[in-house]
Amino acid sequence: MDYGISGRVAIVSGGSRGIGKAIATTFAHEGAKVVIASRTQSNLEETLAELEEIAPGRVHGIAASMTDPESVKRVVAESRDRFGPISIAISNVIGHVIDAAKEGSGPGAGTFEGMETESYREEFTQLMISSWALARECVPDMKAQHWGRICNIGSGVAREPSTHLPHLLPNVVRPPVAGMHRLMAARLATHGITVNNILTGSILTERNRSYWVWLAKERNITVAEATQDMTNRIPLGRFGEPSEMAALVAFLCSDQAGMVTGQSIPVGGGGSAHL
Amino acid sequence: MDLQLKGKVVSVCGPDEAILDACRQALKAEGAVIASPTSDGAYPLADAVVAVGGVNPGSDLLEISDPDDLYAAWDDMTNAVSAYRSALPQMLEHKWGRFVWVGSAQAKSVDAEADELAAVTSLGMLGLNKVITGEVGSNGITANAVLRGGVATDEDVANAVTFLCSQGAAYLSGITITVDGGAGSGIF
Repeated sequence: MDYGISGRVAIVSGGSRGIGKAIATTFAHEGAKVVIASRTQSNLEETLAELEEIAPGRVHGIAASMTDPESVKRVVAESRDRFGPISIAISNVIGHVIDAAKEGSGPGAGTFEGMETESYREEFTQLMISSWALARECVPDMKAQHWGRICNIGSGVAREPSTHLPHLLPNVVRPPVAGMHRLMAARLATHGITVNNILTGSILTERNRSYWVWLAKERNITVAEATQDMTNRIPLGRFGEPSEMAALVAFLCSDQAGMVTGQSIPVGGGGSAHL
Repeated sequence: MDLQLKGKVVSVCGPDEAILDACRQALKAEGAVIASPTSDGAYPLADAVVAVGGVNPGSDLLEISDPDDLYAAWDDMTNAVSAYRSALPQMLEHKWGRFVWVGSAQAKSVDAEADELAAVTSLGMLGLNKVITGEVGSNGITANAVLRGGVATDEDVANAVTFLCSQGAAYLSGITITVDGGAGSGIF
């Protein structure tokens, strides 16, 4: 199926690894001009080399922090200069990591009793400010084309906060981010711009793998047991591949999905209990 | 109905004086003792905390150009978190506590009159209510929200707040009561 993405300019934040990389790869295959932004230059170069193989001359990378509105402005301007007006904006920024030494414990780990309010603000910057700034910078181009696709890579906890894991920050900030996209969808619908949000569930990424290692240590079980325990919670009986997230994102960014907007859609192998 | 609030200390905080006052009146009428933040900004110990969110009628996230406007709304919300945390140790000791957030019905059902900043901060508190419920709910502590919409009066809202503080609401936690006169169109 021709998704109508070919020739369109797409920006993918956090595009050098995991889910962001899978999305950038899918867009490259679909013929889009793809800009990936990432904080780490080395990851960026490695991924760019792979993308260049798929889409010679149609990929560009920018080292930037996508949580700083000024830096987002620079990324969007540079992308526009390079390829033309932006049609697709994918926000994919991870949550605040409170203690990098304990990264395996997952971003935003902590309890209500112990969490300082400053950390809530950090998480707000990571998740909310980043996606707000990217959408805001890209909307004028999309309005001018009367066509735009905004998609946020969120988390299933936006709809069903996780209470079996002590990860307070995403539980508190993911719902507002989902709500913001719903609200933006209402504001932008008459401009041919759709806005959607992915409720990421159990997807196999490096971050998930490092989380299992941490969990195994925490519960004094083997990594295989921890992995099995997490897998048992998924009705489809396996973790999803990043490419399976990318498949939905590509569809949402297609011409065919032009009537789908303001939605939060889970990709989690049926792990979402919400109706 | 005896709401069994006699002698319970309720801390009431937030930037919206009219609704705070309605809550104080309704709670006092049930015999609750009202505690407010002290002049140095410290939050009092309390059996229940009622936190009211700020309102910015017509706020539009895409029209906001200064991220500080977003942070200001968020900081209003985390002030409520601070009030909650200050009260928590005593609630844990007493094995009884009530947290009630008063926010915007826009959090659950969007309409053209959206106060988008209030919708966003309320969604943060709905997430937090689930966390609190999971973390300390077994200590007789509940965390809920009243979402106002339509043309709800301050008294309409205060009545729902008072109910959620009551003994009869002990098995309700992580829930929202939308007080909007039926204006919202969502089912879930």
